[in-house]
Amino acid sequence: MAVTDISQRERFFARGNVYLPHIIVIEKIIEETPGIRTFHFNFKDEKLREGFTFESGQFGEYSVFGIGEAPFCISSSPTRRDHLEFAVQRVGRVTNALHRLSVGAELGFRGPYGNSFPLDFLLGKNLVFVGGGIGLAPLRSLIWNVIDNRDKYKKIDIIYGARSPADLGFKYDLDAWGKDKTVNMVTTVDRGDETWTGRVGLVPKVLEKVAPSAREAVAIVCGPPIMIRFTFPVLEKLGFTPEQMLTTLEKRMKCGIGKCGRCNIGNVYVCRDGPVFTYAQIKNFVSSEY
Amino acid sequence: MAGKKIDKKDIAKLLSQWSQELAVYVPSIESGVATMAKWDGKDTSFLDWYRNTVIPTKASFFPSAEEMFRFQKDNKGYHIELPPSNERKQLIFGVRPCDARALAILDMTFKEAYEDPYYLPKRSSAVLVGLGCTNPYDSCFCTSLGISPAQSTDVDLMLTDIGDEFLIEEITDKGKELIAKATEVKKASKEEEASAKEVKEAAYQKVTRKIDTEGIGDRLLACFDDQDYWERIAAKCISCGICTLLCPTCYCFDINDELVRQQGTRFRSWDSCAFSLYTKMPMENPRAEKWRRVRQKVCHKFKFYPMNFGVIACTGCGRCIRLCPVNWDITQTLESVPVKV
Repeated sequence: MAVTDISQRERFFARGNVYLPHIIVIEKIIEETPGIRTFHFNFKDEKLREGFTFESGQFGEYSVFGIGEAPFCISSSPTRRDHLEFAVQRVGRVTNALHRLSVGAELGFRGPYGNSFPLDFLLGKNLVFVGGGIGLAPLRSLIWNVIDNRDKYKKIDIIYGARSPADLGFKYDLDAWGKDKTVNMVTTVDRGDETWTGRVGLVPKVLEKVAPSAREAVAIVCGPPIMIRFTFPVLEKLGFTPEQMLTTLEKRMKCGIGKCGRCNIGNVYVCRDGPVFTYAQIKNFVSSEY
Repeated sequence: MAGKKIDKKDIAKLLSQWSQELAVYVPSIESGVATMAKWDGKDTSFLDWYRNTVIPTKASFFPSAEEMFRFQKDNKGYHIELPPSNERKQLIFGVRPCDARALAILDMTFKEAYEDPYYLPKRSSAVLVGLGCTNPYDSCFCTSLGISPAQSTDVDLMLTDIGDEFLIEEITDKGKELIAKATEVKKASKEEEASAKEVKEAAYQKVTRKIDTEGIGDRLLACFDDQDYWERIAAKCISCGICTLLCPTCYCFDINDELVRQQGTRFRSWDSCAFSLYTKMPMENPRAEKWRRVRQKVCHKFKFYPMNFGVIACTGCGRCIRLCPVNWDITQTLESVPVKV
């Protein structure tokens, strides 16, 4: 896949009526697990196809016309711009409608919204990625971004887990990173099956065993909230400070631009001030409702 | 600045003149509910019954349900178009100082970072004619929020009832222009200006309910994790949402699609942090319990909004007290915050 240099591009901002979606077209659908699908898409408007930029960690509001809008992160890397990707777990009304779509379908897209993973802060550091289930979606945008600029970063550890072998998503990525000699890829499942020969164990436990060094390192964590809550203490035990831990939070974000009110944690709006936060920031939140 | 005045019996003429260029809204009863509605061209009986509307003035700029755009599919795919905007500029007559201040507070949210393309154009083109409140409800507590019931600079013109006439103050250039064109407006005497001042002072004294806003945010924060306290406060709440929907500073909304015979509409509508579905995600809900939602409501107004914008998101209009079906009372809540600071 072509790697694009986007450093010279002007950053894209939604202008005009921010609630009007752009039309995007589904180009490919990948069945990741029985409940998760990845959609490859492009903008219908050619100018936007060229002009649209985003950064790893940002999200969009995707709409199935007639059903509604929902937020998903852009799961592809800004360094790979043949198309964009987002991954969807089938859980509610909009996600069920998305899972019924086929290639060629048109959707609405607003964005990109939110902050992004702080690439400047990650520069020259050892990176420890800890992901669970569909939580790999925002991480893989950053992982490919980092791999495409491999010389700018040091060691890369990726610890990824799911409930069962069938629930492991993005297997093509796991394979690619497993073969990459510059990456330490660790895959685990909560429960194995007859054919599973890999690791078995919950992500935080496996992380504790793999025990990546906290020296000049940053851990980037994303997964179900329960996994995130159990992962932070393990990282602290390994010597990571709250400033060295990053995560991206999920909330019901309707407008995506800090107005509709529902994604706040205290005075912080996840859509506008996040979704990427350090654990130090989270600990400073007024409310523990994350 | 020399004061102006107008005879109460000339108000209809004044409104008629303004109606030539502007869509004039006045306090009205619609389906039994007091709200700002299009003036019918003659009736000024609201001058007798009007205390404040049930529906706050925010609804003129941020309606309870609003079409955002339409979409339609043909063989070339989806097409999006904005709804036709043939609405004339609004003049809202009789805005109370509490509701006018609420608009200034809402402006902050709708202007911040991304400009809201629905609220702001309506708001900036509108003219607000304030009408001093001389008969506040006993649920009103605006004076504790730095608002005077009969005085406002959040409007374009401010009117004060001085008996058979209204004294008129021109607050903005927009207001001045309106008065310059109004043929029924006369010059007010020094005595009339003095009597308006007295009316304002008397109105101020009539607001007897008070809250102590001094350090309220920090006091709330100090008991933020006191679940027992919040459960007590929330005990009688039935999560009906009326205190937020009809709050002049509440702005939460939902976005939804409607599809009727291939013609789609995306609209936004008022939503409320009092509803458990408001924050519900498929896997979890950060505010599933009622006490968390009540805490959010109180702390958002008195701590989080001040943290972000420097002002308390409450104007003491008292609607949340008057309209609550179970007599939940924000002033009692704030009074009962345990002192831990």
